[in-house]
Amino acid sequence: MNYLLHILIMLCIYGILALSLNLLIGYAGLFSICHAAFYGIGAYASTLLMIKTGFNFFPALIGGTLASSLFALLIAYPSLRLRGDYFILATLGFQLIIYSILYNWVGLTRGPYGIPGIPRASLFGFEFDSIPLFLLLSSAIFLLVLFFVKRLYFSPFGRDLKAIREDEIAASALGKNLPLLKIWTFTIAGGLASISGSLYATYVTYIDPTSFTLDESIFLTAIVLVGGSGNMKGPLIGTLFMILLPEALRFLGLPDTVAPNVRQMIYGIFLIVLMRYRPQGIAGEFKFE
Amino acid sequence: MLAQFIANGLVNGAIYSIVALGFSLIYNTTKIFHIAHASVYVFSSYIFYTFYRILNFPLIPSFALGLFSGVLLGIFMEILVYRPLFLKKASSGIALVSSIGINVFIVNLIALLYGNETKILFPGVQKTFQIGGVILTRIQVAEFVAFIIISFIYFLLLRITNFGKLIRAYANNPTLLSTFGIEDSHLRIWIFAVGSLFAGIASCLVAIDVGTDPNVGMPALLVSAVSMIIGGIGIFESAIIGGFLIGVLQSLVVWQISARWQEAITFALLIAFLLFRPQGILGRRKRIEEI
Amino acid sequence: MERRIALKVLNLTKSFGGLKAVDSVNLDFIEGRITGLIGPNGAGKTTIFNMISGFLIPDQGEIWLENKRIDGLKPWEVAKLGIGRLFQDVRVFRELSVLENVLLGVVDHPGEYPLNLFFIPKLVKKKESDILNKAREWIKFVGLEGKENLNAGSLSFGQQKLLALARLLIGEFKIILLDEPTAGVNPVMIKPLLDLIRRIPLTGRTIIFIEHNMNVVLNIANWVYFLDEGKVASFGLPQDVLGNPEVRRIYLGV
Repeated sequence: MNYLLHILIMLCIYGILALSLNLLIGYAGLFSICHAAFYGIGAYASTLLMIKTGFNFFPALIGGTLASSLFALLIAYPSLRLRGDYFILATLGFQLIIYSILYNWVGLTRGPYGIPGIPRASLFGFEFDSIPLFLLLSSAIFLLVLFFVKRLYFSPFGRDLKAIREDEIAASALGKNLPLLKIWTFTIAGGLASISGSLYATYVTYIDPTSFTLDESIFLTAIVLVGGSGNMKGPLIGTLFMILLPEALRFLGLPDTVAPNVRQMIYGIFLIVLMRYRPQGIAGEFKFE
Repeated sequence: MLAQFIANGLVNGAIYSIVALGFSLIYNTTKIFHIAHASVYVFSSYIFYTFYRILNFPLIPSFALGLFSGVLLGIFMEILVYRPLFLKKASSGIALVSSIGINVFIVNLIALLYGNETKILFPGVQKTFQIGGVILTRIQVAEFVAFIIISFIYFLLLRITNFGKLIRAYANNPTLLSTFGIEDSHLRIWIFAVGSLFAGIASCLVAIDVGTDPNVGMPALLVSAVSMIIGGIGIFESAIIGGFLIGVLQSLVVWQISARWQEAITFALLIAFLLFRPQGILGRRKRIEEI
Repeated sequence: MERRIALKVLNLTKSFGGLKAVDSVNLDFIEGRITGLIGPNGAGKTTIFNMISGFLIPDQGEIWLENKRIDGLKPWEVAKLGIGRLFQDVRVFRELSVLENVLLGVVDHPGEYPLNLFFIPKLVKKKESDILNKAREWIKFVGLEGKENLNAGSLSFGQQKLLALARLLIGEFKIILLDEPTAGVNPVMIKPLLDLIRRIPLTGRTIIFIEHNMNVVLNIANWVYFLDEGKVASFGLPQDVLGNPEVRRIYLGV
């Protein structure tokens, strides 16, 4: 039973990541493979705030969001000047630099040793220290994020982003301030991703850089591509699919040693087939063309 | 001391240049950001390993088979994945994501079959040469020599042979080739063959030096991409400059700062180039007209 | 009759790699008028449009919108100052609906700023319902009623031009730049298109258009500038300019 609840918690965490990345890829048309970097910045920032400064989970979460948003500005700037492949490369570089910092700045992050003993989330003395309680917390946060993101998607802001995705030149000729919109998109997407990071940290109570690698970024991007982007259901379906798939494999009796590799192989094939026959993903609106 | 580090940097640069030449050949002509170049890289070394250490074939045939299998794999990728996308006029983004898919598949297949541990081909200590105040192992010297031979042949290939002319023409204007009735499908296969061959040579040499593991491809790929950009997109041999620059830079970072920060500094350099000199060292500024 | 100069181009020059595309061009666009820019291909007309709408920076010269200098501003800044543009290749947002396309024509919407969405939601909502009504009106005005929910990409080229016009009209631009409005349009659709252009309320507005179709020019222009090789070669009333034998020689090779 706990296992099932664990899956649901993971769905919440990854759902937030997918919805936020969708804002970048599906709405603004900014193809980024550095989302795990924001996930990681959020996790580490909130962890350090909780452990080193004794913050409670909730203020630490906000602190993590601020940190992530600030870093987002760093990658937003290249996004204004670079197009196509060059931009994707820049996000790749950003991901690797952040990972390198998390891994190598041992004084701050304890590098590969990771940070153990992360306190559980608590609210006015009430601790979310069991899995069902944590599921309650993460679902609540997920729903809040869902409403927030929905508001954005269906707003004039969201509409402007879609215009940018479709045709930057036409959009700018209609008064859309491209740099401002892109910076907002990165800031919001990065901030939301860090919420997942904070949740993850307080859930597993131990973090290390290996959860925030380039592979993880590629996985997150794959979620959005497989499920589809540019609308609400795409990322949600993508999350369901990509999180549940490995669990399904486990039921097929695949030994735990090979399961991760087989899962990756399957989603590799998926990407290839999808790009060939259905670039809009399972349920997306944006044909990643 | 400095000389030793620079020597090491130059040897590394030689290897980086070889892989980068392969990667840039493919990118300059087909405009595909061939991330799966990393898979070809690692696949070659594993086939080499399989023949040499598992099936106990002699060294040279094993090496050759490693190269050959890499070439086959590269050609396979073009025929199965890239060409259909090309015919559909799919965007470069789609090719890139497909490439990521291929890479994820193959790397995990290798990990599945062989495990994640490093496979050593030559256990024990290497024989060394002393040149001036600098010590280099035999394989390091071989790597550098290989680079010289390969880049020389590649240069001749590009500048003198008909094939080279076709490649440069294709890079310049892909559609023009078809108006002259030249089958671009064959040309592309040759391009992937040569590019993959380079990747294989580099990875098999490195495998002799330090062995291989399923994850060696990506760092090699990333260095290739950065070398190409720093050197200058569109000029085939420019990746060499990038490769050596990174090789020596990384060595200096190891010497002065710490080995840990090599990667971060390489990518900071990449971003700096992307922002301030996207045409690379040798490239010429392209005019971007908005409309 | 009051003749206010809505847009003024002074000594505008732009070269591309040694070739002078626009050479010390002076143009006055009078408010309330429909002015045509004509001339052979490569005469620099689109380049001038690009400089006015902020996509290119002039090498020399100035562009004045009433008493504000606008050369060198970014495209969205120029749009917010009231200059709207119809592109030669239309550029509708293909995957978005007709309605969304028109809604995007609104240049300043509080809902474009994420902070406003959460701090002044009521204001945003009010503006949104306002423009929704306006959008439907303009869609009707251009004759695309009933097609609001279709994807813009599924419209015919001529219909896309109508859509682009509706998108421009909702934006309440004071200056409208039309780049070859009838190019590529089915001949059957040209007359309705021109009627539409003529029906655009001209109070406080200025329309500038580039055209190759001489009948169109004669049909709707109040004033014409003839450009050749980057320079203004002739200007005046359409029938005068087009009747000029020099112009006919350059343009039609007659």
